[in-house]
This record gives sequence, C-alpha cells and structure tokens, in this order.
Amino acid sequence: MSIFASSEAAASAWSVALATDYWPEIREGTVDTLIMTGVSLLFTVLIGLPLGVTLFLTGWSQRSGRVAVARLQFWIYSLLSFLVNVLRSVPFLILLILLIPATRAIVGTSLGVQGSIPPLVIAAAPFFARLIENLLREVDRGVFEACRSMGATTRQIVIWALLPETFPGILAAIVVTAVALVGYSAMSGVIGGGGLGDLAVRYGYQRFNTPVMLVTVAILVVIVQVIQVLGDRLVARFTHR
Amino acid sequence: MQDWSFARAAAPPVIEVRQVDKLFQTREGPFFALREVDLSVKSGEVFGIIGRSGAGKSTLLRVLNLLERPTAGEVLIEDRAITHLDGAGLRQLRQQVGMVFQHFNLLGSRTVYENVRLPLRIAGGLSQGEEAERIAEALELVGLTDQARKYPRQLSGGQRQRVGIARALANRPRLLLCDEATSALDPETTQSILALLRDINQRLKLTIVLITHGMDVIRALADRVAVLDHGRVVETGDVVDVFLFPKHPTTRALLAESGVEMQTAPAALETRVGPGNGVARSWRLTYRGAAVATPVLTATAREHGLDITILQGSIGRVKDEPYAQLTISFAEEDEERLRAFCESLERREVHCERLS
Repeated sequence: MSIFASSEAAASAWSVALATDYWPEIREGTVDTLIMTGVSLLFTVLIGLPLGVTLFLTGWSQRSGRVAVARLQFWIYSLLSFLVNVLRSVPFLILLILLIPATRAIVGTSLGVQGSIPPLVIAAAPFFARLIENLLREVDRGVFEACRSMGATTRQIVIWALLPETFPGILAAIVVTAVALVGYSAMSGVIGGGGLGDLAVRYGYQRFNTPVMLVTVAILVVIVQVIQVLGDRLVARFTHR
Repeated sequence: MQDWSFARAAAPPVIEVRQVDKLFQTREGPFFALREVDLSVKSGEVFGIIGRSGAGKSTLLRVLNLLERPTAGEVLIEDRAITHLDGAGLRQLRQQVGMVFQHFNLLGSRTVYENVRLPLRIAGGLSQGEEAERIAEALELVGLTDQARKYPRQLSGGQRQRVGIARALANRPRLLLCDEATSALDPETTQSILALLRDINQRLKLTIVLITHGMDVIRALADRVAVLDHGRVVETGDVVDVFLFPKHPTTRALLAESGVEMQTAPAALETRVGPGNGVARSWRLTYRGAAVATPVLTATAREHGLDITILQGSIGRVKDEPYAQLTISFAEEDEERLRAFCESLERREVHCERLS
C-alpha cells in the first residue's frame, strides 16, 4: 500500500510539473533543436563533402605516378588531415568556448540557435569529411580504371562514378552525422545555445526539475529514432548492389 | 620449320610497340615489368597476348592506352606516337579505345543503360537522342536490348560482361582492349563471350588486343599471338604456327597446361605403345587447311608402297582453320624410301618432322 501511495504522490508531482507552464517552452526547445540540427547538418554536408572528396583525392590511395603531382597531393593531404584531426580532438564543449569570438564574427552572437550553428558545423564537418574519405576509399579500384580508360577527367569520375557509387553510404553518413548533431546541439545548451539541451540544463541541472529534464531527454530519443529509421529506409531505397 | 605462313592481307599496323620498357621501383629494387617489347598489331585482326600471371601482360595491355606509362620506348597507334600524350590529347585517345575488364568494373549503382551511357557522357558532344541511339546500338550488338533498365546486380556474370563490352563499344572505337575478359566466367559463358567478341571483330572490322593466361582463348579467337615471359616477348606469330610448332619452352608449357598440346615426345610414346614398336622411326606429320579433309596420307603411302602405323593423332581447329597432327611410324627401314615418302608429303603441304 505504501509503495502504491508514494508512486501516486510521485505521479501527482509529475502532473503538477508538466501541466502548467512548461509545455510551450518544451515545444519551442524542440523546434529550436530541429532547426539547429537541420541547418548545421546542411552546412556540414556542404563543407564536409568537398573536404572528404579532397582528402580522398590527395590521400595515399590516389597518389599520382608523377613526382611533382604526388608531392603536391601529399602536402595538401597533410595540411587538411592535420586540421581535421585538431578539430576532432578538441572536446566539443571546449570547442564551443574557444569558438565564441569566431561565432560572434560569423553570425553576430554566440547565444541561442544562431550562435550554436557555427560551432556545430565546425565540429561536425571534419567528422563527416572523414566518413566520406573512408567511403570513397572502399570504391573498387576497377571502377577508377574503367573511368580512366574511357578518358574521364577527375571531376567526371567524382561526379558520375564515385558519388553515385557511394550514394547510399553518403546517406548513411549523413544520418550518423545528424544523430551526432542532435547530441552536440543539446550540449551547446551549457553555454546558452538554446534548444532542448538548454532546457534540460536550466531546469534539470540548475533547478532540479527532473520531470522537465526527463521529458526533454525522451524527446531527444524520439528525434534520434525518427532520424535513424527514416535514414535507414532511404539508404535501403537507394541501394542497388 | 619451313615457310608455311599463308599470306594474310597486308594491312598497315594499327599498333606499333617499339622497344618498350616498364621499370617499377619496388622495395626489393628496380623491376622490369616489360623489357624491350616489340609488337605490331594489324588492322582488323585479333591479337592475343598470353603469359603467366606476373609475366607483364596486364602492364603491356595498359601501355596501349597509357593507363601505364612506359619508362622507355615508343607506342604508335595509327601512326601517331602516344607515349608523350597528356591531358586532353590523352583523354581523346582513350575515348577512341574501348576496354573490357576481367571483373567487368560496372557501376553497381547505375542501370545497364546508364553504364553504357557513361563513356558517351565522358566524351560529350552528343544530344540525348544521339546518346539513346548509340546505347541502343551497343546493347543490340551484345544482345541485351531488353535488359537496359536492370541493375548489374540483377544480371548473370556473362550478361555483366556483355554490358562491359557494350560500354566499351559505345564510343564506336576502332580498337578494343580485353583484359582477361573471360577469366571470371564459367566455361559455357566463356564460349558465348568469345563468340560475341569474334562476331564483333568480324562485323565491325574492329581490331582486338586481348590478354589471357589460357591457350583455349587464344585458340578460339586470336589470329596472331605473342607469348610473354618475365616481361619479354619470347615468341610471336600466327596462332596456328605457334600452336603446331611452338618454339619457346614457355609456349610449350602453356600449351601443355591448357591441354591443347599436340606434340608428344618419343619417350612418352614408348610407354604408350610399348618398346620396339617402331617408335625409333617415328615421324610427326602436320597439315592444315583443306588438306585435312583429303586422303593425302594413304594416297602418298600407296604411291610409295609403304605401310604406316599411326601412334597418335589429333585433328582439330584453331580459330577457323582445321589442322591435323599425326605421329606415325614405319615398318620400312630403308632411309632412302622414307625420305622420298616425306618429300612427296611436303609437296602436298604436309610438314614432316622426324622425332627420333
């Protein structure tokens, strides 16, 4: 009986906590999170895809037989690879703080939805680029040889052969990156980034309002699930192998 | 060996390979994949290059469209030196030379139609309608018109290779390079692909250079052959000549491995027919062409009043040419009469060779 009574009490505390003023904020936080994830995902792909292709084309698997070209490839690869590694090795929370001046310069503020997007892109693009680089390396060497035997330029090989061949893999990489961005965007709440993470920090951490925190976590779980399931379906739809 | 070669139409060479070296720098030191290679391929012929794995045949084929750059020597295609081509000139050359691969190298993400379209898009300059026409033409040639909407995954190995061939033909090349085009296929499919290549060679007057490790492919398809061993051409000539009179040990070994070797050493005959059965006076007779269908042997034997024993024999076909190769022995011991017999045979285009 006593257990039943106490859980009844807990349930009433929940209904009090959630019935009143929190839902509008939760809804707003959800929308903000979706916007942050979506916009930063878009820029991540726009920057990360060419970066990944460049890493691949200058990497060891594509080194030219001509010494001068190979040397140029080596230097470009080394520089880009180093930058990518640096960005990937800094913890996201620290990156957020380090980037505050740069973020202000780019979008005018380091707070809210806008202020979260540049650090999200800068953190995710190198990650995405590495995924792309590895994907492209998996493409059968025979495909390159066939394209080169037809007299294709490197640009033609990339656009007409490499990207179509790896398209399902690229979709899967976008899904993985989107999920990572949902998590990162929540983290940006710590420095006032907006979205569900911001709510969870403010209510759950600073005011000990466990129900609000748990609801935000539940919504994050749902968002990630939806992204993953839809992503998997898209990948399956475009896989012809 | 006597002068036997039936004169072929003297067409100008499409490909001239002159003193080509390909030197690789490996961890174990410099290594010649090709060494002083000379070749000449005539217009409209099927030229086979045979060798074991590592003999350099793959490198040699790739030198012809500069997928591999020779480190020395010269390659001429239709009288144009290609060795120094670069950039646009090189891409243009490659667009005029089709290539077929052992593992097909198709785009799995694209339909048959799109795969055949790829070389046309790369070359550019065609309207969509012209592209569609070319693709239909190429698919028709390989018999895949009704498979255009399928993906490579949905096709059998033989059909995939047909797509590979259609793709190589889409730009209407004058030269087709085949890199072990049938090595990944089962025997039956191999036969159908070989028949297709032969058909294309005849209908389009297309010059084909193929590499293979199998003598049966050479025998079915090639007009002339070059045998490659450790980066060097060790034997070259008409396929029939090379089959019937192989000179180099590598050639003989390759023939033996393919089960198409026709020559047997006297010692092996001895074990087969027993000692003292005239093996000591055995001769090998080789003839080809129309003579195979005539009673040349018995007619000559009757003229000379000689009796012969056939110890071994094979009658077959190399590409379109029938041949017969018989090992015979005589009860007669008079050298003069034997020599006279052989001279008569030689006059009837039968090649005689004493084995013992």
